[in-house]
Amino acid sequence: MEHMSVAERMARGVLVVLVVLFFLFPIFWILLMSFQTNEEILRIPPSPFFTPTLANYSALITGKLVTAAGTLDIAFMRNLWNSVLLSTASVAIALILGVPAAYAFARFKFRLGEDIAFTLLSFRFAPPLLVLLPLSLYFQALGLTDTYIGLIWVYQLIALPLILWIVRGYFEDISPDIEYAYRVAGHSWWRTFTRIAIPLAGPGIAAAGLLAFIFCWNNFVFALILASAEKQPVTVGALAFVTASGIQYGQIAAAIVLSVAPTLALALYAQRYLVEGLSLGALKG
Amino acid sequence: MTDTAVKRADAPLRRRRTNYLPYLLSLPALLVCIGILIPFITAVYYSLQRYRLNLPMMRGFIWFENYIEFLTDREFWRTVQVSLEYTVLTVGIELVFGLAIAMLLQKQTRINNIVSILLLLPLMTAPAIAALMWKLMTNPNFGVLSYFVQLLGVSNFKWASDPNTALFTVVLVDVWVYTPFIMILLLAGLRSLPTQPFEAAALDGVPRRFVFFRITLPMLTPYIITAALFRMLDSIQQFDIIYPMTQGGPGDTLLVFQVRAYLEFYQYTNVGKSAALLIILWAITFALSNVFIKQWLKLRERARGLA
Amino acid sequence: MGKLELEAVSKEFKTGKVLDRVSLGVEDGEIVAVFGPSGSGKTLLLRLVAGVEQPDEGRILLAGRDVTEDSPEARGVGMAFQNFALFPHMSAFDNVASALTARGAPRNVIRAKVEKVSALLKIAHVLGHAPRELSNGQKQRTALARALVAEPQILLLDDPLRNVDAKLRYEMRLELPSLLKASGSTVLYVTQDYKEAMAIGDRIAVLSDREFTQIARPAEIYGKPATMSVARLFGDPTINLIPVAPLASPTGTTIGVGGALLSLPPGFAHLAGKACVLGLRAETIAVEDTSSAQSFPVEVVAATPLNEKTLLLLRTDDGREILASEPGTEEAPRRHGPAFARFDPGAALLFESASGRRVAPQTA
Repeated sequence: MEHMSVAERMARGVLVVLVVLFFLFPIFWILLMSFQTNEEILRIPPSPFFTPTLANYSALITGKLVTAAGTLDIAFMRNLWNSVLLSTASVAIALILGVPAAYAFARFKFRLGEDIAFTLLSFRFAPPLLVLLPLSLYFQALGLTDTYIGLIWVYQLIALPLILWIVRGYFEDISPDIEYAYRVAGHSWWRTFTRIAIPLAGPGIAAAGLLAFIFCWNNFVFALILASAEKQPVTVGALAFVTASGIQYGQIAAAIVLSVAPTLALALYAQRYLVEGLSLGALKG
Repeated sequence: MTDTAVKRADAPLRRRRTNYLPYLLSLPALLVCIGILIPFITAVYYSLQRYRLNLPMMRGFIWFENYIEFLTDREFWRTVQVSLEYTVLTVGIELVFGLAIAMLLQKQTRINNIVSILLLLPLMTAPAIAALMWKLMTNPNFGVLSYFVQLLGVSNFKWASDPNTALFTVVLVDVWVYTPFIMILLLAGLRSLPTQPFEAAALDGVPRRFVFFRITLPMLTPYIITAALFRMLDSIQQFDIIYPMTQGGPGDTLLVFQVRAYLEFYQYTNVGKSAALLIILWAITFALSNVFIKQWLKLRERARGLA
Repeated sequence: MGKLELEAVSKEFKTGKVLDRVSLGVEDGEIVAVFGPSGSGKTLLLRLVAGVEQPDEGRILLAGRDVTEDSPEARGVGMAFQNFALFPHMSAFDNVASALTARGAPRNVIRAKVEKVSALLKIAHVLGHAPRELSNGQKQRTALARALVAEPQILLLDDPLRNVDAKLRYEMRLELPSLLKASGSTVLYVTQDYKEAMAIGDRIAVLSDREFTQIARPAEIYGKPATMSVARLFGDPTINLIPVAPLASPTGTTIGVGGALLSLPPGFAHLAGKACVLGLRAETIAVEDTSSAQSFPVEVVAATPLNEKTLLLLRTDDGREILASEPGTEEAPRRHGPAFARFDPGAALLFESASGRRVAPQTA
């Protein structure tokens, strides 16, 4: 593979550029749109040259949109906050519940563990609506429809299997002798778990948590069915926003940018953990 | 202390102390499992009933009638057809595209690594949001893509609003979002392949096409199958892209399983039918996922062996 | 320091029973080498004493206290693992100190004890390093230091010299006994190398077939093995085993070896007519040019000089091959060809074929 003719190297280069263009263009274009006024957006032909404006963002952030027809209240910031709250809380709880369970599955071979692992794994691939639609009826009966707790609980269905899946593999990779050595040295089971097992599985836990956060943030259908209007995260909120505000394309674009910015930033910042979580985690887990 | 065989004392037989720790640790996971199984069983229960939310008094057991009705329901077969079309198109295109990109970026150079990271971004956007992004770009009035297409001489390309091009549009969005996933998987696979066969082939002057089809591809097969099954399982249940884009329309063009089930539940309030549809979908995914899990376990063993 | 006792301990896994009601008593300050072929359960035995595994039957007593139900951290033993099991994310210093941090000792005391042990094991200069930066020999000594630092009553060493290169292994084999004695701990030392067992142990406990076949001082194990399998496990080259059938005769009991009729020492009359096996260690066989009362004819087929001895491959008239060894000399190697092999009947070992047990001469 070392010897490549100049022509071939150029062809490769061109292809890489085309691929990058294809995958990054939409993000780039929407980003542009978010800094344009409505007039500029509607102008034909569309042009990347214009004077940028922050009006769209300020409208979203202040929550007020002044139009010729009057002042509209935009609740998008609320959606953003919901996303932050739901994702962070769900992942935190999933880690607290899931890491010890992953340890149990890794270290102890017990029938119940195999059954739980199998159920969670098989429902990872099951249609979400199968569980969500009946759940929506239960939620009404149990009074959970307008709560964060209900949503965070349901989000465990997304985060927990992922964490169990990935972190178990990392615990299994730690030689049990290392833990025994620490216990024989005089430390309790709990200290061994917190001082030895968890630090050594650290990268796996970070990767799992990161991935779980992104999956929770990007989730659409859970929130669509179970979240009340006040508690909707950005994925559902953006759709409602489009339907409601109709012609305010600049703000829609800004809303989209705000919706994806956190996950994209996380992805870029922690891409090493991400790739490890996605590929090796899928293979290792 | 002379040489003796050991005395066999009468041993007090210990009852082995059961270790409660694993059960304690996995309690929350167990609760989540129960949280999944209860709605699931409920759904099975509903699917066997005539149950409409707006006609609660008519609720009653009709056993498998919901399922049997589907067999003669034209709409049902349309759903099956669209779902299959969608799955085959997305998985097929993404596999080819993903493999091509992985091969393009195989070498561990600075640029290739940066590009791989950049290509992660579409995967990190919520599919529902991606649908909105593409909706904006394909807007007939101001969408940049509509403009480009006009430049190419095609007028009146209606993208998602036209029954003829709706499938193409949503497949395009799906390809945009999920190809990077296949790329990452296959790139990891490519980079983990042993180098000796390739070095030997280079020494022997084997032509590149032969190397690809007879050496690379066969060795990559487990990764390809894993990636394919993963995507198939997601594509057949597609909801996040199609619903924001067209809610299943225009007409019934994009009524895949979950979209139809959703509409049955909320628009027609037919809980029984919706549940039955989902159970059928579940059966398909269950069968597929069993195949997948077997494949994936095999792949995991292989990855462990190399690690 | 304390006595260690195992009473009728058994342990079974899905693959079968590994230990079947084994018992062992180790005196305070004694070093017992647990020796046996691989898979015989030696490591399992250590793990049971440490508390890492639980026995199905039996009791374990440390210094008179029944610890069978106790968790590992409550037992106060020190253990060195075969693969070192050092904590990768801690420095060598912290690794060694881990046995002291559990008991909440003050910083300066910890430092002093760690430095003392490290000096003894010659790793003081690498204490700041992470385990992955250490050589195998340094890792092994760090693992040992970790086991010793808290001055435990009982010390468990799981084949510590196995993963160490040959030269270092030889050096450590010389250092270890004095090191262990100086610590004063009661020691269980697991090894697969019989020479190591004989060099280090005050007594050797031979573990095979799910039980202790023999527990005795090294000289006794070598000179008076309890069974054929024990005799085979010790000695290099492996002991020669020749099936014989003792015959009663007016002059005493005789056996036929290599076509010659040789007499046994008195006391074996009860073996007449039974199927037996004669055990001859290579070094007890003298190869001579002329015959004598207790010799039988052989042919010297090959002679292999090793540094301190020469191995001779002999073949008897009935086709049996026997190994004899002579102390190495400067003289020209022994020529091949016919010769006579003679052994001291007192040094011969007799085993019962059926049970494999050694038969001691019966005094009237």
